[in-house]
Amino acid sequence: MLQTTFRDAPRVIGKVICWLRFALTLCLFMTPQSAPLCAGADDDFFETRIRPLLVERCQGCHGEKKQWAGLRLDSANALQQGGENGPVVDTNSPNESELIIRVMSDDDSIRMPPPEVGAALTADNVRDLRHWIASGASWPEKSSLPTGSGLTDVERAFKEHWAFRPMEMPTVPAIKNLDRKPQAIDAFVLYKLQAAGLSFSQPADRRTLIRRATYDLTGLPPTSDEVTAFVSDQSTDAYERLIDKLLASPHYGEKWGRIWLDIARYADTKGYVYAREERFFTHASMYRDWVIKAFNDDLPYDKFVLLQLAADCVSPEQTDALAAMGFLTLGRRFLGVIPDIMDDRIDVVSRGLLGLTVGCARCHDHKYDPIPTADYYSLYGVFSNSIEREVFVPPAMGSPAADNYVNGLREREQTYHDYFETQRSEAQTRFRNRIVDYLMAQRELDKYPELTFSQIIAKAELIPGVVHRWAAFLERAEQTLDPIFAAWIAFAKLNDDEFATKSPSVMQTIQQASLTIHPRVLAAFDTPPTSAKDVADRYGKIFSTVDQAWTELCDRANKDGSPTPLELPNADDESLRKFLYQNDDSPCVIPRESMATIEWLWDTSTVEELWKKQGEIDRWVLQRPVDAPHYVALVDQNTTYEPRIFRRGNPANKGTVVPRQFLSVIAGDKRQPFQRGSGRLEMARAIVEPTNPLTARVWVNRVWQNHFGRGLVETPSDFGMRSAPPSHPELLDWLALNFIANNWSTRWLHRTMLLSNAYQQSSSETPSSGQTPDGKTSTGFQSHANEVDPENRLLWRMNPRRLTFEEMRDTMIVYADEVDWGMGGKATDAFTPIAGGRYRRSIYGQIDRQYLPTVLNVFDFANPDMHSPQRNETTVPQQALFNLNHPFVAGRARAIAGRIQQPASVNVGDRVRHLFELIYQRPPTPDQLASATEFIELQPQAMPKAPGLQRDWSYGYGSIDEANQRIKNFDKLPYSTSALWQGGAQLPDGTLGWVHIGAQTIHAGNDKDHSAIRRWTAPRSGTIRIRSSAAHEHPQGDGVRGILLSSRSGIVQSNILFNSQARFDVEQLEVQAGDTIDFVVELHETLSYEDLTWAPTITLTASAEGPEGPAGADDSTNIEWDADRDFQTDDSGVLNPWEQLAQVLIVSNECMFLD
Amino acid sequence: MRHLDRRTWLKQSSRGLSAVALTGLLAETNQADADSARDSDPLTAKHGHFPATADRVIFVYSTGGVSQVDTWDYKPQLYTDHGKKITASRWLNKPGEFERFLTKPRWAFKQYGQSGTWVSDLFPQLGSVVDDLCVLNAMVCDSDGHDKGTLAAHTGSAQFARPSHGAWVSYGLGTVNQNLPSFMVIAPQPPYSGAQVWASDFLPGCHQGTHVVPGVEPLPYLKPLVGSANLQGIELELLSAINRDHLERTSADAALEARIRSFETAFGMQAEAPEAFDLSQETDETLRLYGIDRGATQGFGWQCLVARRLAERGVRFIELIDVGSANNWDSHGDMAAHEPLAKAIDQPLAGLIRDLKRRGMLDRTLVVWTTEFGRTPFHQSVDHPGREHHNLVFSSWLAGGGIRSGIVHGKSDEHGILPVQDSVHTHDLHATMLHCLGLDHERLTYRHAGRDYRLTDVAGRVVREVLV
Repeated sequence: MLQTTFRDAPRVIGKVICWLRFALTLCLFMTPQSAPLCAGADDDFFETRIRPLLVERCQGCHGEKKQWAGLRLDSANALQQGGENGPVVDTNSPNESELIIRVMSDDDSIRMPPPEVGAALTADNVRDLRHWIASGASWPEKSSLPTGSGLTDVERAFKEHWAFRPMEMPTVPAIKNLDRKPQAIDAFVLYKLQAAGLSFSQPADRRTLIRRATYDLTGLPPTSDEVTAFVSDQSTDAYERLIDKLLASPHYGEKWGRIWLDIARYADTKGYVYAREERFFTHASMYRDWVIKAFNDDLPYDKFVLLQLAADCVSPEQTDALAAMGFLTLGRRFLGVIPDIMDDRIDVVSRGLLGLTVGCARCHDHKYDPIPTADYYSLYGVFSNSIEREVFVPPAMGSPAADNYVNGLREREQTYHDYFETQRSEAQTRFRNRIVDYLMAQRELDKYPELTFSQIIAKAELIPGVVHRWAAFLERAEQTLDPIFAAWIAFAKLNDDEFATKSPSVMQTIQQASLTIHPRVLAAFDTPPTSAKDVADRYGKIFSTVDQAWTELCDRANKDGSPTPLELPNADDESLRKFLYQNDDSPCVIPRESMATIEWLWDTSTVEELWKKQGEIDRWVLQRPVDAPHYVALVDQNTTYEPRIFRRGNPANKGTVVPRQFLSVIAGDKRQPFQRGSGRLEMARAIVEPTNPLTARVWVNRVWQNHFGRGLVETPSDFGMRSAPPSHPELLDWLALNFIANNWSTRWLHRTMLLSNAYQQSSSETPSSGQTPDGKTSTGFQSHANEVDPENRLLWRMNPRRLTFEEMRDTMIVYADEVDWGMGGKATDAFTPIAGGRYRRSIYGQIDRQYLPTVLNVFDFANPDMHSPQRNETTVPQQALFNLNHPFVAGRARAIAGRIQQPASVNVGDRVRHLFELIYQRPPTPDQLASATEFIELQPQAMPKAPGLQRDWSYGYGSIDEANQRIKNFDKLPYSTSALWQGGAQLPDGTLGWVHIGAQTIHAGNDKDHSAIRRWTAPRSGTIRIRSSAAHEHPQGDGVRGILLSSRSGIVQSNILFNSQARFDVEQLEVQAGDTIDFVVELHETLSYEDLTWAPTITLTASAEGPEGPAGADDSTNIEWDADRDFQTDDSGVLNPWEQLAQVLIVSNECMFLD
Repeated sequence: MRHLDRRTWLKQSSRGLSAVALTGLLAETNQADADSARDSDPLTAKHGHFPATADRVIFVYSTGGVSQVDTWDYKPQLYTDHGKKITASRWLNKPGEFERFLTKPRWAFKQYGQSGTWVSDLFPQLGSVVDDLCVLNAMVCDSDGHDKGTLAAHTGSAQFARPSHGAWVSYGLGTVNQNLPSFMVIAPQPPYSGAQVWASDFLPGCHQGTHVVPGVEPLPYLKPLVGSANLQGIELELLSAINRDHLERTSADAALEARIRSFETAFGMQAEAPEAFDLSQETDETLRLYGIDRGATQGFGWQCLVARRLAERGVRFIELIDVGSANNWDSHGDMAAHEPLAKAIDQPLAGLIRDLKRRGMLDRTLVVWTTEFGRTPFHQSVDHPGREHHNLVFSSWLAGGGIRSGIVHGKSDEHGILPVQDSVHTHDLHATMLHCLGLDHERLTYRHAGRDYRLTDVAGRVVREVLV
C-alpha cells in the first residue's frame, strides 16, 4: 500500500495541476450567459468548497477538453443540461442525485472518480456536495477568483518544475562519522540516508565487484584469471585501475553503444514495406559502428549529439561523420507517409535527448507539459525541410573486389538514372500539360486523400502527391508574395457563388499592384475572370504559350544544329519557363532526389519500377564485400518553407503557419526563429547548449540508471510535469554540471559513479558494520531499511539486476570460447554461427523490425519501432524454455562441457571445480561440489551413440537443371531446430524462405531455386531398392512437385501432387559409391502449402566392393536406410550429464544476475 | 539404468544442501515465496473492471476480405438488380463518381434455425448453428488495404506498431494457466503485416502472442534436450538447489524468486503444451464434428479443435488465422475462389460452436469471426466474375460469452453497399470484446511515451445491443 501511494503521488499531483489549468482557463473564458441555476448567497461556499473540488476531481474528464458520458461540470449551463442520461443533480433530493450516488458508490465500476483516476472523495467532500445541492446548487455567474491569477499559477508551476529550472551547482553536504573516504556522490546519497536513519550496506566482496563493473562497462563477464588477480590485489588503487582498464576496452563501446541504440530505436530494417522496396537499410551498420566508436573515443556528448542531428552542417568535409545521422534516418519508414516519419524523428529527439514527450503535442497542446501544438510543428518544419541523401564513399580501387563493387554499383546507378530521366521528362511533360487540372484539383484536397499505396494511379490520371505539392507550393507562393501566382492566390479567396460579383474588385487590386505582379499574368487579367476555372484557364494559357515558344526554340536549334538553348531571350518568359522546367520547388518539376523524398510524385507502375531499380542498388550495397562506407544523411532542402499546424494532427486540416524555432519551454522569452536552412543545426545547438536544463540531466540520469539499476529520475525519457521528481535533485545537478565542466565526457561520468562507495556497496540487505544508527542488531536494521525505504530509492544497498538478453547471449558464447571478436560490419543472425562456427557479439545481431525474433521479445529486448527509455524486466516461462531447450543454449552447454573434458585423466571433482571456476569465477562450495558430483555419477555416462546410417543422409536445397536432369547448386540447410533443418532460426527465413526438412516432412522453398532436397549418398556401390509414399494433404493451394532424381541416371520419377498421394518406388537402381539419390520437393506455380509427407526407405539389395561400409553393419547387403528413423539434426542429440551440468550453471541465477 | 523420481533423487542428493533449499524444494514453494513471485509476475490472473460474461476469446480471422453479400448479408434486391448501372462514390480507394454494374452473388441463401437467419449456401454447416450466432451486417473499417486493414483489426491502428488485442487482454487479465502462454495464435502462414499482428509492442514482452505453426512442431523449444523428462527433472532439481543456495547468500529479491519459479512453470509447460496439441485422446465422433482425419496435424479443423483444447486449458486469447497472406479470400479474379475456402472452414467452425456448447463452454467463451473488409457488390462490367475491396460495409459474427444469440445486428442498404443502421466499427468490436471480458476499453490503458494508450485509441463504443 505504501508503495502504491508513493508511486502514484506524483501522477496525482500532475493531474491536479492539469485540472487546475483547465479550470483556470475556464474561469477566464466563462461567458456571461452562464446563468446561475438559482441565485443565492452561497457563492462563498461554492467558491471555497465546491468549485475547487469540481476543478480538481471532476473536470479532468467532465470539462472543457473531455466530456465523458456527455457530461460537463464546469458551468451552470452544463450542470443544468447534465449528461447522456440527463441531469446529475436534483436539488429536491440530493441523495438521489446521480452525482452523489456516483461519488459515494462502493462499486468500482460505478464510482467517480474511477479508481484508476484517483481516490474516492472524502466524507467531507461528499457532505459539501450534498449541502451544495440541497441548498440549490448555486453556481455564481462570475468567478470570484481574481482573474488571471490562475494562469500565473500554472506558469509558475511550469517555471518551478524541477526539470525546467536552470541547473544549479549545489554545495556538497558535509558528512560525519564515515569510515570510508566519501566521493561527492556519496555525500549526497549519505546525507539523505542519514536523515532517514540509514546508511550504506557493507562494501560488496571483490568478486561481486569485478563482475558488476565488468558487465556494467563491457557487457561481458570477467575471466576467472581476472577475478583471481583482482581479489588478491591488495594495492589501494586496484579498483580504480580496473575501472580504467575496462573503460579503455573496445568492448566498452559495444556495451554502451547498445544502450544508445535502444535510445535511437535502432533496427536494420525499415518495418513494413511493400514488396517492391528493399526492406533493409543500406546504412544501418554504419551508424551502429559509428556509435560504438564514438563511445570508445569518448566523443564529448555535446559533439556526439550535434553530429547525430546535423553532421552535414557541422563537418561537411568529414564524410565519415555522416554515419551519425542514422540516428534520424533509421526510424520506421511508415510506408513512406511523411507526417509519421517526421513524428518519429521528433519523438526520438525530444524523448531521447530532452526527456520531453513532444509527440503528445501532435494533435493538441500537451495535456500536462508546456508544449503547445505550435512547438511541435516548429520542429516538424525543421525535419520536413530536411531531406535524405545517400552518400557513397568509394573504396580504395585496385583490388578486383573493389573494382567489381564500384563497377557493379555504377552500372546499377546508371540503369536507375537512365530510367529515371526518361520517366521524369515524360512525367513533367504531363504535369505541364495539365496545369489547369492541377490548379483546380488542389482546391479539393479531400478528393486526393492521404497518400496511400492502395490506390492504383495510372499515368493518365492526376497524381495525388503532385496535387498536394501544388497546394504546398501555392501556400508558399502566398507567403513569399510570388509574382507569378499572385493573381491565382487573390482570386482563390473568392467563393464560387460570390466570384462573379467580387471578381472585378480583385482584378482592380491586382492591376494596382502591378509592380509586384508578373507582366504576363498582369496582362492575362485585364478583364475580370468569371470563375476559378476561368482563372485556371488563363494560367494554362500563359504557361502553354511560353512552353510552345520554348519548344519551338529548341526544335529550331535542333534543326539548325546549333547548341541547345539555355534560356528564353525574354526575361519575363524565362522566369515562367523556369517554373515549368527548372525550379526544384515547382510542382511541375520532379527534383532529382532520393526515392524517399519523391516517391509520391509518380504513377503506380513507374514508382514500382523505380523502387525495383533502387532495390537493385540497395542490395548491391548491402552485399558489398569491401569496406566502402555508405551513408544516408539528412541535408537541408534548397527552398525551405514554413510549417503549418495540422489541426488534430490531420495533414488535410491545415492551421496557422508557425516559424521553425526551438521549444518555448527551454528557449523561453528570448526565442528567435531559426535562420539557417531547415534550422536543424540551430536546433541541435540549442539542444546541447550548456544552459539547456534538460540535455545533460537526461543523459546523466540515463548513465546513472544503467549503473544503479534505476534513474535518479525514474522516468528517464519523461522529465515533464507528470514525472516523479528526482530522488536526489542536488546530486543530479552536481553530476550534470560537472559533466559539462568535464567537456561532456561520458567516461568521466562512469568513473565518477563507479568509484563512489554507493556503487561499490553490497546488494544484500545487510548494513555496513558499526553504522547501525541506533545500535540495533543487523536483522533489526535490515527490516528498518525495508520499512523506511522498501524500494531502495535512497540507495542503502546496491540494486541487483538481471543480465540483458545481449549480456546473457554474450556470456554463453564467452564461456563456450566461441566468440569472434571482430568489430563492426554487416549484421548477422544471432543464432547462426558465422564462418568458422563462431558467434559474434550480440550487438552485431540483426534487428529486423518486422520479424523481430520471438526470443528477443521474450527477453524484453528494446522495441525497435520507437525510442525505448528502459527495458522491462519480465520473468516468464518462455525464457526458461529457451534456457532449457533452445538449441543455441544446448550448443553452448556442449561446447563448455567440451572445454573441461581435457585431459582425460582429470577426476570428476576437478572437472566440477573447473566448471564452477569458468562460469562463476569461484570454486564450488563443498555442498555444491557434492551435489554436482553426485549429479554426474548418478547418471549413466554414455548416451546412445548415433548409428552410422545417419551420416548418409543430408538435407539441403537447390534447383533442378531440367535440361540435364541434374541438381545444380546443392547447399546444405544451415540451421536446425530439434525437429527441422531450415534456413535460419525462424520460418520463413529472411534469405531462404520456407524451405525445411524434417523426419517425414519436406517443404519446398519460395521459388524453384530453393527446392527442398533430402539427399542420400551411396556409401558403397551396388543395387538399391527405394520404397516411398509421398502425400500432399491440403485442399488449399495448387500442390507441389515431387521429384526422385539420381545423380547417375537423372530424373527417375516426377509427379505433381495436390491433395493426393503418389508412390515413388524403384525396384532396382545401380549406384556407385558417392552417387546421390535426391528426393526433391519443388514449388508448383504459387507458394502455398508446399509440403509433402515423404519419408523414403532405401535398401541395399546387392553390394559391390566399396571403399567403406556403414559403421556397425555386419551384413553388406540388406542394409535399410529409413529417412524417418535416421533423421537427425545438429541439435536433436540429447545432452549428457556434463553438458547438463554446464547448462545448469550458465542458466542459473548466479550466472544470470549481478549482485 | 536407475529410474529416479524427483523426490527420491532429492532425498539422496540434497543432504549437502542447505536446510532452506531443501524445505523449499520439498514443499515445492512455500507460500511467501509464491506470493512474492506472483507480485512480480505480470501474467497472474486478474479481475477486470466489472464482472465479465466471458473468460476467454477465440478470435477467427479469415484473411483477404470475405464478401458480405455472398455469405451473411442476404440481398434479394441484388439478384433482381443484377446488371443495373449504379454510381459508386469510390473505386479502388479513389473518391469520385464511377459508373458500375451491380453483380449478383452466385450462391443462393436459405433461412436457418428458429431465428430464420439467412445464410448463403457457402456456409450450410454454420447455418445449422446460426441460432447460436450474432451476425453483424454493418461492420465498417477505415482501410481497404490488406496490411493496414489487418493491423487495424488487430491493434486498432492501421499505421503504427501497437499492441495486439490479445496482448491487451493478456495485460488486463493475465492468465489462469501458467503452463501455457496467455495469448496464442495458430497460423499456418503468416498473415498480412506479419508478426505485428500478435505483437506486444510497448506492453511487456510476456503479453505477445505465441505463434503456433500447425505441423510437426507447433510450439518451439518444448522438447527437452535430455534423454527423458525424468532426467530433466533431476537437472532442474539441481538448478533449483543451486539457485536457492544463491538466493540464501544474496538478498531475498522477488526477481530471483520469480525466475526460480519460471523454471518450474516451464517444466509444467513442457508436459502440458504438447498434450494440448495431441488430439489422439479425442473421440472419432469429435474428430468428425470438426471434419478432421485421425492423425492430422494441420488444416483448419485441427486449428479449431486445438483452440477448444487451449480454451479448456485456460488460454486467455486464442486466435486462428484462416489461410494467411496468400491464396486467401482475396477473390479479385473470380468469386468462385470463395467456395473451397468456405468449405475449408464451414464444418470446423460449426463443429467448434457445437463442441463448445455441449461442453458448457460456449457461455464463457467469446467466439469472434471477422475479416479485414468486405467486397464490392458491383464491378466495372456486369460479367466480371470477381469483386474488389470494400471497407464501407462488411459482415462478421460473434457467439457465446455474453452475446445475444440468434440475432442479426446492423443493416446495409438493399445492395449491401453502405450501412444504413447500427454500424459497428473495428474499434467498437474491440470495445465490445473487452467489455465481455469485464474490461472497460477506456480504462484499460498503458502509459507509454508520455501518454496513456488503449486498444481503441480515442474511439470505440461497446455495442450494448448485442449483449445479453
